[in-house]
Amino acid sequence: MPDDESFDLPGCLERVRRRDQAAARELVDHLYPLVIRIVRSHLPRRVLEEDLAQEIFMKMFTRIEQFQGAVPFPHWVSRIAVTTCIDHLRAQKRRPEFRWADLSEGEADVLDAVITNENDVAPDEAMAAHELVQKLLDQLKPEDQLVIRLLDLEQKTIAEISEITGWNGSLVKVRAFRARRKLRKLFETLERKERS
Amino acid sequence: MNRSDMAWQRLIKAARQVPREPGAVAPHGFATRAVAHAFAAKRPAPSLFEQFALRAVGVACLLAVLGVVSNYTMLAQSVPTHVADSFVTLDPASIVLGEADYE
Repeated sequence: MPDDESFDLPGCLERVRRRDQAAARELVDHLYPLVIRIVRSHLPRRVLEEDLAQEIFMKMFTRIEQFQGAVPFPHWVSRIAVTTCIDHLRAQKRRPEFRWADLSEGEADVLDAVITNENDVAPDEAMAAHELVQKLLDQLKPEDQLVIRLLDLEQKTIAEISEITGWNGSLVKVRAFRARRKLRKLFETLERKERS
Repeated sequence: MNRSDMAWQRLIKAARQVPREPGAVAPHGFATRAVAHAFAAKRPAPSLFEQFALRAVGVACLLAVLGVVSNYTMLAQSVPTHVADSFVTLDPASIVLGEADYE
């Protein structure tokens, strides 16, 4: 775990730089929880999480000589993970326009409930709500998706998002603003369609 | 906050109730596989021989050119002025046919 204090990260990095494979395996095991959490949060469609995690670790080892220690090593790795996920999200085809017909019965019920009711969604519909959020976020640009996921789903602060992504606070706020505006438009369109 | 924003907030609040997947530990063999791929892709630093071999070829070529240039006058003197005179070409077919020029 990245927050495991018993792990000697500087020593391990030094050994990895000397091409010690045992140290490299220890480093992968240590950072895996951090990387897999990012991968699962931003996993593009049709990409296996293990493949993406492996790609991230390969990039980490390739660039490890460039790590100067300006930021903590886990932050540096999380930025590689975020960039890799964004690259994959960009590469995948953009989804066509969001339509009611594309939703499952549960997702349509949840959407109808949040648009028309003032009450909260029932707890047994949480999974459908989660799926619906994923589908709505798919309509945003990869960078905007990432900010909204971190901000709203994972409830991270602007400072934490800056640490993870390497973007400054203003950029994070701008992306969040842009994403919310797009989501608002999406909801308004859906509401009009639902009424008609 | 308008209606759409409130709808989004209700939706996201419901979505947050989904428990996060476990899996804080790398699957068996993942680290070995990832490291093997990374180390295979990452080329080790070139050996001392590799570092100097290409330079040595360049230096050798330069020395060869310098050798030719510095000895050019001697090489030029050793070649006869009339190159055609130095070669007597006798065509065997001409000899047989009696058409050879022996002059």
